Amino acid sequence: MRKKHTAKNEPHIKAIGSDSVAKCIRRDIWLYVFLAPAIIYLIVFKYAPMLGMVIGFKDYSIGKGILGSEWVGFDNFIRLFKTPNFFTILRNTIGLNVLNLVFGFPAPIILSILINEVNCKAYKRTVQTILYVPHFVSWVILGGIIIQLTSINGPISVGLSKLFGMAPKSFISDPASWIVIYIISGIWQSVGWGTIIYLAAITNVDSQLYEAARIDGANKFQQIINVTLPCISSTVVTMLILRMGSMLSVGFEQIYMLQNSAVFDVSDVISTYEYRVGLEQRQYSLTTALGFFKGVVGLILVFGTNTIAKKLGEGGLW
Amino acid sequence: MQKRISRGEAVFNVVNYIFLAFCVIITLLPFVTIIAKSFSDTVAIESGKVFLWPVDFNTKAYKNLIADGQLLRSMKNTVIITVVGTVLNMIFTTTAAYALSKKRLLGGKFIMKMMTFTMIFSGGTIPHFIVVKSLGLMNTYGALWLPGLITVYNLIVMKSFFEQLPESLEEAARIDGANDLLIFFKIVLPLSLATIATITLFYAVSWWNEYFNGMIYISSSSKMPLQVKLRQMIATVGQVNLTETDGETMDKKLAKDAVQAAAMVISTIPMLCIYPFLQKYFVKGVMVGAVKG
Repeated sequence: MRKKHTAKNEPHIKAIGSDSVAKCIRRDIWLYVFLAPAIIYLIVFKYAPMLGMVIGFKDYSIGKGILGSEWVGFDNFIRLFKTPNFFTILRNTIGLNVLNLVFGFPAPIILSILINEVNCKAYKRTVQTILYVPHFVSWVILGGIIIQLTSINGPISVGLSKLFGMAPKSFISDPASWIVIYIISGIWQSVGWGTIIYLAAITNVDSQLYEAARIDGANKFQQIINVTLPCISSTVVTMLILRMGSMLSVGFEQIYMLQNSAVFDVSDVISTYEYRVGLEQRQYSLTTALGFFKGVVGLILVFGTNTIAKKLGEGGLW
Repeated sequence: MQKRISRGEAVFNVVNYIFLAFCVIITLLPFVTIIAKSFSDTVAIESGKVFLWPVDFNTKAYKNLIADGQLLRSMKNTVIITVVGTVLNMIFTTTAAYALSKKRLLGGKFIMKMMTFTMIFSGGTIPHFIVVKSLGLMNTYGALWLPGLITVYNLIVMKSFFEQLPESLEEAARIDGANDLLIFFKIVLPLSLATIATITLFYAVSWWNEYFNGMIYISSSSKMPLQVKLRQMIATVGQVNLTETDGETMDKKLAKDAVQAAAMVISTIPMLCIYPFLQKYFVKGVMVGAVKG
């Protein structure tokens, strides 16, 4: 089957002339040499850890090893769901993700539409270059900058007290302000970079569509709503499906850099819990169970969103 | 030649230009405050006077950092991690992507599916940790390089690019008796320099900013990567920042404020210096990757 298919697509292969698998492999031997390290990498560092997830169903101890440890069924999961922290962590993870989705996801779409409307090329390029900058700076540094800005003697606190006579306040250690800081800093870091993909989609829009809309008397705003948005909807859906897969994973580094003991209640998420309880307290089985739970939910969300997208006629990822 | 711009459109344009200028300023301001702090005097920082411009300009913080040497040592470590890591990435990403870009390759599609699947499902933190540990990689840079050998996203970008190269180039070389190895190095690579530059930048930036793996795998301080060292410096200050402090520790903390700012500036400079020059390439690179199917 496959061979037939290949031969049909690439006629020159026929000229080399082979019908047996062995010949195909001999012909492409260098390609297999090229691919071998990647396959080994994939097995050792991607698929072996997936098999390693069995320790979520075992009582793993380093001495006994993965195979020697006893099976405990769903005990780790039950223990996990009974942990009083579990629902706080789940709530925070989902809550921060939903806020990110509501505010962070549309931001690059809106920004790319606005950037696209700029006619002056030099201005456009300058804006883009500068907006990409935070993407190239580590969260260690971004976090450090944000802490300095929002601490009690930082410019925001000092500025507000000078302008409005407010009492100086450490915003980074106030739970409500912390959430706002988290969302805004996330947008700050990623919005510029996020525009690239949408700008690529927008430049592919047929300019005749805009002409037609203009002749029909559509103004700028109507053109954006009725031409630009529908034309980039498949890109938006693709990004949304990929985004859904990470609904249970909040990036570790951003949280960890901004976190402090005063805001633990709103900022402890699955990834920080995995680090603290898993790696620091070495509760390997318990946190692997958590990781498994997260992975499966992510997978369900990706497949679910993909199915819905297909039903809505937007075309899924596959 | 073009239709007249209506009044509404003109207003929109002006508002749009101003709004984007505002976004640019907001994006840059936090960085400016850090630069200003790093050149300021301790007393001025203490009284909250430093915002966008250094007060009582001095370079003491930088001199202290250089004299101390710890940050520079971790920076040297990160240069090694970045250079070796990126070279390894590029060797294995380009070769694998080239092989996978050939539709005639038996099993290629299956491998590609296996790769893509890892983008939406992974073994999770602990199993990864156990694998790295059981390979005896703890406290070596191998613990960083090997698990990060190939980024599937970058591989897909590279593969999409190779797929766009005309088949005829390869056929001509094959008639002359060249094998895939020769074709790849002599013909394909020289044609791919722009995409290679893009992917190299992506990898280099992620090595330079690498934190999590450095933190969990590298234990000896002489091997410590830059970001882990930076975090150490920032965390000690951050902790004090949150609580009321007595005069003595306050003084220490503020002396550190400038040093901390200087450390952040020093460690950001290398990345920010190269990237504007590569911008036109990497935008193209991301677009190639964005092409569906």
